Amino acid sequence: MVPLPNRSHLQLLTVIGRRLIEGLFTAWAAVTLTFFALRIAGGDPADNLLAQGLASAEQAQALRQQLGLDHPLGIQYLEFMRNLTRGDLGISLYTARPVGRVIGEQLPYTIALALSGLMIALALGFVFGALAAWRERTAEGRFAAAMSDLATALPVAFTGILILYLALMLSLAIGRPMAAPGLLLPAIVLGITSSGPIGRVVQAGLRESLNSEYILAARARGLPGGARLLWHAVRPALSPVISLIALEAAYLFSGTVVTETVFSRPGLGRLLVKSILEADFPIAQALVVLAALFYTTSHILADLAAIMLDPRQRRAG
Amino acid sequence: MKANYLRLLLLSTTLLVGACAPVQQTESSLNYGLTLSPSGLDPHLNASAELGIPLSSVYDTLVFRDPDTGEFVPGLADSWKISPDGLTYTFELRDDVHFHDGTPFNANAVRANIDYIVDPQNHSQKAVSMLGPLVEVVVLSEYRVSFQLSEPFAPLLDSLSQVYLGIASPSALEEWGPAEYQFHQIGTGPYRFIEYIPNDHILLERNPDYAWGPSIYHRQNAAIHQIEFRFYEFEATRSLALESGQIDIIGEVPFREAERLSDDSRFSLYPTPIPGQPMQFYFNTRVSPTDDPLVREALILAVDRERIVDTIFGATSPTASGPLSDVLFGPLLPNRLTAYDPNRAGALLDQAGWVDLDGDGIREKGGSKLALVLVTPTWGSNPQAAQLIDVSWEILGASVEVISAPAFGPLKEQQSNGEYNAIGLNFFGTDADLLRPSYSSSGLYNWSGIQDPDLDQLLNMAASEVHDPSLRASFYQSAIDRMERAFVVLPMRDYVDLVVARSDLIGLRFSLQGWFPFLIDLTFSS
Repeated sequence: MVPLPNRSHLQLLTVIGRRLIEGLFTAWAAVTLTFFALRIAGGDPADNLLAQGLASAEQAQALRQQLGLDHPLGIQYLEFMRNLTRGDLGISLYTARPVGRVIGEQLPYTIALALSGLMIALALGFVFGALAAWRERTAEGRFAAAMSDLATALPVAFTGILILYLALMLSLAIGRPMAAPGLLLPAIVLGITSSGPIGRVVQAGLRESLNSEYILAARARGLPGGARLLWHAVRPALSPVISLIALEAAYLFSGTVVTETVFSRPGLGRLLVKSILEADFPIAQALVVLAALFYTTSHILADLAAIMLDPRQRRAG
Repeated sequence: MKANYLRLLLLSTTLLVGACAPVQQTESSLNYGLTLSPSGLDPHLNASAELGIPLSSVYDTLVFRDPDTGEFVPGLADSWKISPDGLTYTFELRDDVHFHDGTPFNANAVRANIDYIVDPQNHSQKAVSMLGPLVEVVVLSEYRVSFQLSEPFAPLLDSLSQVYLGIASPSALEEWGPAEYQFHQIGTGPYRFIEYIPNDHILLERNPDYAWGPSIYHRQNAAIHQIEFRFYEFEATRSLALESGQIDIIGEVPFREAERLSDDSRFSLYPTPIPGQPMQFYFNTRVSPTDDPLVREALILAVDRERIVDTIFGATSPTASGPLSDVLFGPLLPNRLTAYDPNRAGALLDQAGWVDLDGDGIREKGGSKLALVLVTPTWGSNPQAAQLIDVSWEILGASVEVISAPAFGPLKEQQSNGEYNAIGLNFFGTDADLLRPSYSSSGLYNWSGIQDPDLDQLLNMAASEVHDPSLRASFYQSAIDRMERAFVVLPMRDYVDLVVARSDLIGLRFSLQGWFPFLIDLTFSS
């Protein structure tokens, strides 16, 4: 690729800078909102901690003091923000372990699931999207379009149970017991769920570029049909897909919540749900910060990729 | 063309299953499904019942309770004596026990465990309250230890028989501390704790040195070499995991699935009663209209409890007969809870002045409608029960609003607001003293708001009656009689854990608490 001229570099930096500031603001807003929402609606952690233990009111009060939960909300918030800027995520109320360590243990599982889910989503999305656009008026084209629609419409929990059930039927049919669920089944479920929107965007983009003048011109120049033509048409259709992947990445996180539960896998999704239900505020807050930063980063990367792929966007940026 | 697609689909699904490696199922390893992944696995600090399923075989306790008779039997303590004033419990300890890490078990170990539990820095959620008015543990000699109380506390022995007060290696507690000990647990029990990956699995291995098991264990030493626990929090996946061979045993199977599996010769169903309070709803005696005992009585009579329990939980679950479960506490229940009688319920409401004058199906009194707020936890099938109770009360002529609380925090929040007429809450336990927090005037879980000094006195006298069990039982009978005459609670169903296991897994028995299997007794029939 030809190196970008300096002017473009500057523009690129401006875009990134603006995105970064927006991203930090988003992260701050998200974590502030979470901080107060949890404390207003999430219940009293001391009550939660002692719920199963039939503790006395005095024990509950003592615990509240120890955890600093008897301070005014504003003070608690300032304390929390001060620690956060120092990179101190706090201590889990439930297990007295450092939040960073609790999250660190679960993070690799979610990354593995989300990445492999994304790969499968991309593969399925491209196959069905391309097929739907390329063979628009045939049975297989319509079948492919319908698959994308179905994948968009089905809830993750349903797909999950369906896949588990299919796997069980097959394992019974071939007479071999199933191993404890590894990565494959949950990744397929997550992949199917996220493949729908990708398929649709690929289909729409391809349809547009296949009908565009430059493809017509290429055909007129004698470029044969089939794969090479498809490749020509794919490149301009990629840019909306890249943006979508950034959005999907955020959705993938919410998809992991259900997938991890259905497949009894460790991960951040389950940790988030549990920490909210148990009013383990430090863990829930740290996960929100993490999600906001991740969301922001993936958007910046998507913007960059879009600019690389489609020089027209440099001016727009 | 179409056939090709079909073939492709089949092929890919086959590949998908082929990719799941077959489990190497040797006779000496067991895969155990847990239904909740506890946040925190330290029995001294955390409170979940689930943690006891693996850990009650990692630890021994000073005493044990016979699951059939409820009698106390020696454990790490050979014998014990309670002083006449009920304030000193002296235990003679075994001298032939060592922890999995080689540390010898002795009186200092007992003391170190209790010190760890009562240390306020460690935030014990349950064990510390189980110790009641404990002042200190005194080491009298290497194998003699005493517990000093500030007032008599009859539940103490029951507490000491539970995994939450199991005895851990003092050197491991010292080495790892409250945050990390849960990953490095060391006990004296028939299984060793090997590994815990949160939300993923817990691994136990048999302790070949185990030679000091209590008489309630049928085997001297564990037969199954290794047990791996995995978590199946999503109800619908439990029977799938059993049928696919991922696990050999799991509890909390939804009842229709459990019934289906019990018809399958590969599986056996173990309906396991859990003693404690039944699934129940407290009436709020502090707000209208449930401040009127006539209304509360009518609301109880209007609910066909047997039918609701049968609809939601099937034949394996008994209808509750009082504020404690029939199993273990049956003799304490005067069993005066009246049967379903909608006509009498209507007559009581008439008598209380609630009459439908404008013919809209809802009763009024003094210009206000008979409106009820029912708060239900979302776990344990409470919402289904609440829905059917709602219908019963609407037929009676009330308008009902049902509010769901997805966790204990939100439930407590609703309770603190005070704007409820009935609210669901129950605790499990093996000592009747669990009534005190729920029914004494100042109890932390007195969510009905009942204020009855005579009841308080009965519950306190029962809690301090250390020497005469039949006198203690009579206090509880009188207390429960008073509670039932005040109509403060609508008991629904005695809890039953539906455990399903492979039929060739034999020797499955559970502790008095119901949740905890005696893993040492399990074997596979060949």
